[in-house]
Amino acid sequence: MTLLFAGLFVLGVYMVVYSFDLFGRSLTSLPISDFSGGLQDFVTRVENGNLSAVTIVTLVILALLGLIWFIAELRPSAPRRVRMGNGTYVTRGVVEEEVSTVAEQVPDVLGSSVGVRAKRSPGARVDLEARVRRGEDLGTISSGLRSKVQEHLSERGLPVSKLNVKLVEADPRQTKSRVQ
Amino acid sequence: MADGIQLARAASVAALATEGVHSMGRGRYVEAATYEGSEKVSGVVVGPEDLEIHIVAGYPLPRPIPEIAENIRERVAPQAGGRRTRVIVEDLEVAEDESL
Repeated sequence: MTLLFAGLFVLGVYMVVYSFDLFGRSLTSLPISDFSGGLQDFVTRVENGNLSAVTIVTLVILALLGLIWFIAELRPSAPRRVRMGNGTYVTRGVVEEEVSTVAEQVPDVLGSSVGVRAKRSPGARVDLEARVRRGEDLGTISSGLRSKVQEHLSERGLPVSKLNVKLVEADPRQTKSRVQ
Repeated sequence: MADGIQLARAASVAALATEGVHSMGRGRYVEAATYEGSEKVSGVVVGPEDLEIHIVAGYPLPRPIPEIAENIRERVAPQAGGRRTRVIVEDLEVAEDESL
């Protein structure tokens, strides 16, 4: 970062020197005549509306990307903590720990990974990925796991606005526990 | 009504006396503490209009987290001087088994 700032500072000094023709240096002496000529041509063609279809499409895409980036920057960032309402907050790690603990108590689950995203409204979005043996009845396990997690979190008073459960068939030799 | 460090101290004592609280938190991204002179109270941030209490809850939880938070708020309210009290649960800590 220090190098970046140092580089920008040096470039700034050069820009001032060349822009104001100081110390016998001027912009015309720089070997950029081809580049500046091309740029001048391009700007003239833009002003005259004399552009190829490919250039127009590229410019439109660039403008749209800029607009999307601008809108994305305007959006407030996601909160770091999960709001429980009434002035109480928990960190995402607490929710992750609770979900992971209860998920791994379910007999068919061999391991799990949990992602928690705090929302501006009370509650969190929980993405739970549970690893199970191949050939198990995924539908039954998924609904049982979902209800168990929801029940546990509501007992703890942890609000969940959305719970996504994903089951992944895994080799027991590669999971956290082989047998439950 | 207590001010500054006194309030922080009172809030810390009240929080630690609440069932389900293992210890005071330290803040995750920014240190949560109140300073005055050479004294520092960790886990409590006293603002002009609000009061933040960071805790580490004991696991297994004896009661739901909102109840623990409400209990802390009730204990702190007499000293808080009308400040809005926020309780932040930073972590869970497995409580030691006293029977061992």
